[in-house]
Amino acid sequence: MVTEAARPERHLDRSAIVWALFVIVLLVLVVNPLARLLWTSFQHPDTGGFTLENYAAAYGRWRYVEALLNSLVVGFAAALLCVVFGVPMAWAVSRTDMPAKGLVWAAVLGTFIMPNYLGAVAWILLAGPNAGWLNRAFTALTGATAGPFNVYSMPGLVLVIACYSFPYMFVFTRGALDLVSSEMEDAASTLGAGIARTTLRITLPLVLPAILGAFIVVFLEAIALFGTPALIALPARFQVMTTTLWQMFEFPPRLQVAAAYSMPLLLITVFLFWLQYRIIARKGYVALTGKGGERRPVQLGIWRWVALGYCLFVTSLSFFLPLLVVLQAAFANAWGRGFALDNVTLRNVRFVLFDQPSTRRATLNTFLYAGAASLIALALALAIAYIVARRLVPMGRVLTYVAMAPFVIPGIVLAIGFYAAYTTRPLVLYGTAWILILAFATRFLPIAYTNSDAAIRAINPELEDAARILGGSRLLSLRKVVGPLLKRGLAGAFILVFIPATRELSSAIFLYTTGTQVLSVLLFDKSDEGNFELLSAMGLILVVVTVALILVGFRLVGRDFLLRRTAT
Amino acid sequence: MITRILALAAAVVLLGSAPAGAFDGEKPLYEAAKKEKEITWYTAHYNSETAAAICQGFEKKYPGVKCNYVRTTAQVAYQRLAQDQKAGIAQASVISSTDQGHYTKMKQDGWLLPYKPKNLSELVDAFKPFNDPDDQFVATAAGLVLITYNTSVVAPSEAPKRWTDLTDPKWKNKVSIGHPGFSGYVGTWVVQMKKLYGWDYFKKLEQNKPRIGRSINDTVTMLNAKESLVAAGPSATTLESKAKGNPLAVVYPEDGAVLMVSASGIVKNAPAPNAAKLFMEYLLSREGNEVVVSQYQDPVNKHVKPMAGGKSIADVRTIRPSLTEIEKGIPEVKELFRETFGI
Repeated sequence: MVTEAARPERHLDRSAIVWALFVIVLLVLVVNPLARLLWTSFQHPDTGGFTLENYAAAYGRWRYVEALLNSLVVGFAAALLCVVFGVPMAWAVSRTDMPAKGLVWAAVLGTFIMPNYLGAVAWILLAGPNAGWLNRAFTALTGATAGPFNVYSMPGLVLVIACYSFPYMFVFTRGALDLVSSEMEDAASTLGAGIARTTLRITLPLVLPAILGAFIVVFLEAIALFGTPALIALPARFQVMTTTLWQMFEFPPRLQVAAAYSMPLLLITVFLFWLQYRIIARKGYVALTGKGGERRPVQLGIWRWVALGYCLFVTSLSFFLPLLVVLQAAFANAWGRGFALDNVTLRNVRFVLFDQPSTRRATLNTFLYAGAASLIALALALAIAYIVARRLVPMGRVLTYVAMAPFVIPGIVLAIGFYAAYTTRPLVLYGTAWILILAFATRFLPIAYTNSDAAIRAINPELEDAARILGGSRLLSLRKVVGPLLKRGLAGAFILVFIPATRELSSAIFLYTTGTQVLSVLLFDKSDEGNFELLSAMGLILVVVTVALILVGFRLVGRDFLLRRTAT
Repeated sequence: MITRILALAAAVVLLGSAPAGAFDGEKPLYEAAKKEKEITWYTAHYNSETAAAICQGFEKKYPGVKCNYVRTTAQVAYQRLAQDQKAGIAQASVISSTDQGHYTKMKQDGWLLPYKPKNLSELVDAFKPFNDPDDQFVATAAGLVLITYNTSVVAPSEAPKRWTDLTDPKWKNKVSIGHPGFSGYVGTWVVQMKKLYGWDYFKKLEQNKPRIGRSINDTVTMLNAKESLVAAGPSATTLESKAKGNPLAVVYPEDGAVLMVSASGIVKNAPAPNAAKLFMEYLLSREGNEVVVSQYQDPVNKHVKPMAGGKSIADVRTIRPSLTEIEKGIPEVKELFRETFGI
């Protein structure tokens, strides 16, 4: 196959202007704030001149370095656990005749919507070493004096983070599995391979790019989280990078040191993507061959109940048990009293909905900004992924790093970059909704990008070539060939960006102004007020409204988004 | 002398006949505030329900002046104001932080507008030393750090009576405290404990492996979950949670409840300076403090009685480091705390 780069005359194509435009938007959105951050990291706090002192301050202490190492351990372990949770579930839902797939999918969606700090509080109640429900159940059943679970530990933190990140793994893997045609598996079976061997040797390797993509996303998200480590790691007596960063924002704030402290993470991201590139590069992963290719569910027999059991086990950890805790608190007068009929009240929900003036405005803002940000991120990500995959501009691979970079900078630090970028000319956006929309779009661009990249990689360029040989322009082949093939994946990608944007906290907290509050900020402010009843009520409202919107979305698009019902 | 007594008597008569809460010059100030239409308050005092109730009370007393609050933690409130100042944006008119260091810095940077509220005379006398001599900030909120416990597990007779009881080995793995790096209340408490008992107190406390949260309010969640049984907790949030029916109680320690006084100030580039002055008056007024008490917080107006179940600060043995001790002490104890507790 001849690549585009080898045919320079194609650059005169009308589409070239479109590509250039997208590249410029990417550079303005991502490089501008990051460059300001980089500059800040070398800036002397008082004189504003060039200095290396910030790096010395950030890495001159073993405590700070240790926190960074802890973050790497947490990120890596959480990503591995997500593979263990998410990949078998994705395979069971996508490729097998497991029952109750709708329930499993709904539980995964619910997990994804639940803000992770709310889940973390629920887990403190479930696995607190002294009084956690799970520990009390264990001691009641076995007669032991103490339960085995301790959420206040490194494994506890990893588990809680993995619980709220595995949906990325599930959705990415599942999207890819849905595209693998059964013919490849049939070929293996014909040659005498069993289900397990076929799955491990044929099916899963075919979706390796998606798994690796999700692994990186989970890793990066895990090390950039603030809420969950603040709730779990501090009482467990260890620091991670984000809780250390928080110290740098204490009075007097040391932005320059914070910027310096988060810089090396960019190098880690570059390394991860280089690794992914090396693993994938030499093999062909083009699996999607248009509409042909039949997909049949694998018959699991009795094992399908085992598969369902595993799915329900994982979603109980991530969704059903924490939801029980949140529901109890949201409708309780006093959640410390536990379950009792006279303890049930609607007061918390009523206060949040009607008496607190900011809730309605914030709810509207949350979904409006998240929607706009998702559209912007998705359009940009698709264009960039396409440019990179089809090598439409020189040095295209660099664009991948640019598109993925925002994810690795902790939101709290990224917010400083946005703030610096959008309070000075030429783009003064502070005080408007746009600063939040652009911040969310930039922050979740990596998710949109990973998803778009996987989707576009799976489309064989020969399909477009066919259209172009028949005389169509590149834009026409995009519209008529690539677009329809991507449609389903896009709806999924939209949700993947939309949901995290509805719960995004760390960048919002410094960028909102009185008229532009979002729910996550209100929730966070509640989290240090010791009022778990109201916190739960607000979390519940966020979850319920998001679910309702997604259901309406299902209706409007006229499809069941990611849940493709396989013919039975 | 006689004229002074007469004047005083006249003043008393006048005060008695004036409508409750009215102060000298209220009317023209209100008229000027109405022209400004609305006021924005960055606050770290109280929780969001109380902030909402204070704003509603203010709007009710002064119709035509809208009150917006941005309730957040002290560090975020300061950081936001700093952003605004740097970008030349005038948004907040009144700022209420709980970190004393913020006020010193804001005053030094010239961000505050001096104003001496007329209602200052009604401020609890014990809080007056915490006002700025140049009137750039005045005390408008108070609270106590107390010993708190879960009553469903701990009997009142067993509950700790003194701060030193928290180091008793019988509370091993059962004590909850906040982190001075996150909470000004905790920072003040740590400074005071160090002043009373030396850093040894925390070395002993560490042997009980306390559960360390961020905010002092996290202790309320820990007690409600029965994850911890006793704590160094806040008066207001604990009593509010207790009033809802949670199994909590407070102990006013024999060696002194730690008093926390927090100030408010008017921002120099306030978009609504007159409404800001009116709002400062309201924060000190009787009506304002009755709202505060209805939300289980401690009043700062000497004529307002505290909520049921709590004691008036005047009746409690309180201890508190001086402003300089807090300012110098907090950065120091943060470091010591991190060394001793490893976080």
